[in-house]
Amino acid sequence: MTTDLRTGPPVAPARVPRRRPGSLAVALAVLVVALVPVAVTTDRFLTLDNARAILASAALVGITAMGATLVMIAGSAVSLASAQTATVVAMVFLATQDRGLVVATLLGLLGGIAVTALQGVAVGYWEANPIVLTIAAGFALGGGAIWLSGGTPVNATTDGYELFNSTPLGLPLAVYVLLVLAAVAQAILRRTAAGRQMYLIGENRAAARAAGLPVGRVLVLAWAFFGLCLAITGVFLASFNTSATTNLGGTLTLDAIAAVLVGGTAITGGKGSALRTLGGAVLISVIADILLIRGYSTGVQILVKGVLVLAVVVLVHVRAARGSR
Amino acid sequence: MTEPTQTGSQPLVTIDKLARSFAGVPAVKDVSFTVGAGEIHALCGHNGAGKSTVVKMLSGQLAPDSGRILLAGEPVGLRSRQAAQHLGVALVDQELSVVPALTVLENMSLGDIDAPLVVRRRAAVARCREVLDDMGLERLRPDQLVSTLSMGERQLVEIAKALSQRARVVILDEPTATLSDVESRRVFAAVRRVAARGCAVVFVSHRLSEVLELCDTVTVLRDGRAVVTTPAAGLSVEQLIVHMLGEAPHRLAATRRPDPDLTHALRVEHLHVPGRLEDFALTARAGRIYALAGQLGSGASDVLRALAGLHPRATGSVELRDRAVPFRNPVGAARSGIAFVSNDRKGEGLFLDKSVAWNLVATRLDRLGAGGVVGAGRERRTARSLAALATLPPDRLAAPVLALSGGNQQKVFVGRSLDRDDVHALLLDEPTRGVDIGGRAAIHRLLRSAADAGLVVIFASTELEELLELGDVILTMRDGRVVNTYEGGADGAVLMRDMTERKEAA
Repeated sequence: MTTDLRTGPPVAPARVPRRRPGSLAVALAVLVVALVPVAVTTDRFLTLDNARAILASAALVGITAMGATLVMIAGSAVSLASAQTATVVAMVFLATQDRGLVVATLLGLLGGIAVTALQGVAVGYWEANPIVLTIAAGFALGGGAIWLSGGTPVNATTDGYELFNSTPLGLPLAVYVLLVLAAVAQAILRRTAAGRQMYLIGENRAAARAAGLPVGRVLVLAWAFFGLCLAITGVFLASFNTSATTNLGGTLTLDAIAAVLVGGTAITGGKGSALRTLGGAVLISVIADILLIRGYSTGVQILVKGVLVLAVVVLVHVRAARGSR
Repeated sequence: MTEPTQTGSQPLVTIDKLARSFAGVPAVKDVSFTVGAGEIHALCGHNGAGKSTVVKMLSGQLAPDSGRILLAGEPVGLRSRQAAQHLGVALVDQELSVVPALTVLENMSLGDIDAPLVVRRRAAVARCREVLDDMGLERLRPDQLVSTLSMGERQLVEIAKALSQRARVVILDEPTATLSDVESRRVFAAVRRVAARGCAVVFVSHRLSEVLELCDTVTVLRDGRAVVTTPAAGLSVEQLIVHMLGEAPHRLAATRRPDPDLTHALRVEHLHVPGRLEDFALTARAGRIYALAGQLGSGASDVLRALAGLHPRATGSVELRDRAVPFRNPVGAARSGIAFVSNDRKGEGLFLDKSVAWNLVATRLDRLGAGGVVGAGRERRTARSLAALATLPPDRLAAPVLALSGGNQQKVFVGRSLDRDDVHALLLDEPTRGVDIGGRAAIHRLLRSAADAGLVVIFASTELEELLELGDVILTMRDGRVVNTYEGGADGAVLMRDMTERKEAA
């Protein structure tokens, strides 16, 4: 008697091109919304002290991650030698304290830049595979660290480095340095020819080459900046710990990669930004902080960090794969 | 294997009124022909005539919109290349699919649907040996690495591979495009042997004289239709060209006046790319468009790639505006004022995920401000004026290039090299590949205005209309050498003959 309306003529799905927010943005928004009630109900989370603690813990990883961001954008490369580089810089910095803070700092920074820029030369001009290359570099630097230190902690003869442990306006100096570096990295990426070329090279290296873009030079620049960031991290690590052992770098390598990825910089290169990485570093430290205050073990903290990185990588990757079809 | 009983009564392959369109544009409209067992059947046609679409339908890579394919009288649905392989249809592709890092034997068993799960090595070697001997490849060993073979031998291994998979129908798509004379001979001998064993062979080639030499029957395609099927015996290259072009071969328009100032010219001497290009010379004057006419493997595209710095092993001397060009690396070439537009727009051209504006300014970032800083206002103005110059819709500047039509993508690609006072020579490889008619006319106008603005413009193309329409000077090329140079007075038939026929004993 009554016609079933549902079996009417099939309506073609309207193919209206719509501007939808990226799945990553949605996921991060959901995550932040979910975090707010947890954070608010966590004792002592909303205190100035805790905010300081979060920033301080984000600072060192964040500084390294700034450099890693450029390298990843410019060529889907990561460095697996980050911890070792920072450790060697820390040792050089402490061992040369007797020549004055300025000299020690400069030596540390130059050493970090030189070692990392050299890897950039191999990647940029000789098309070395960055994973293999940085694993090798990591071994070499790790060996160098043991050889330098003779296996014992390196200590400074003077305590000039204490300057780097100062806390102007109540925040560790490293936090200011992180913010400055984030601004610098963002400016390089967005407003300099070299930075813009990093995006282009990361997106399509063959096209960049055929267009005559200076691929080698730009990649060396990216890696040199990475080296600077690693060296600064090393100097802060040394100052904070007042002595340097061979495992001073700890989990820095993977932490930095995690911050870059959680920020949403594509592991395939060509996309991302320094500000996103800053967000990624802070987000990781907020979550770690909540878990810490709520009394979860270190194991749980690392587990959650891993799951978060995994989720973001999957989302970014899925999005990229759909986008390129 | 094939029974020799099929001769006579029933053709092995029957193509019946095949048609296929892409996005509403018909590529093949009405193609029918038959190939008998033991017959070598050529498929000829100008670019875009529909040859490769027919090949793809016959080898199961494309489904026809209408029409039928019959094998030994049975209608078959070839839904995939594997399905076609099961029915005994083997394809030897334009692009070699042998893997250099593997041995001859390993390559033969790659993709072999009949290969047993556990390969019994001795039996496999024996079988491989048998197939190689069958092909007249006694000097190849099954355990030899393919990387040690010449290109011609690789092509032969590829054919042997197709045969070892019990093929009844073998399709060869441009098997000799990149081969030398001697190597081609060997391929022909192998093809004849294959036919003698009772296979039906479909042979696609641009080289008309070898088509006439090798094949029994020729089917000519034009605009998606089979215009004629005729025995090859008694057919001449000229007649074949007339069939391919139809009537009205275009004429090269009167040549334009070149820039009299030779100091603005691009001078190329003794340009040599090992295995691809021999002793190329050209003095290209500013204000003129030079066309390199050549098929795949002719060296036309290699001239441009070498000049753009993409052939690191190229030798010779190149001067632009009286200054030597360091043409063995792309950065040096670009810095000397050479801009290159590759024929691979997606792989080696545009930054597809980036916006139109980014792509337009991609190669001049260091000129948009002082000290390596990119001025935001200057960038915006430059992108906008280039979009206007390249007749791109200004409201798409922020859209990713990926979202544009092929024609507009190509306008972006060409546009990024225009209106720069540091670019003196514009090199384009297939400037309108995959571009619609409207976009094509727009790109041709862009190139003409670039030449009028004082640039040296050189492009390589396989399309006769484009060569004749746009080239002030046309150089025909084949086998890595220039055949002829025309400044007016060329027509389609002449170019086609230069591009396809082997040079008389020179």
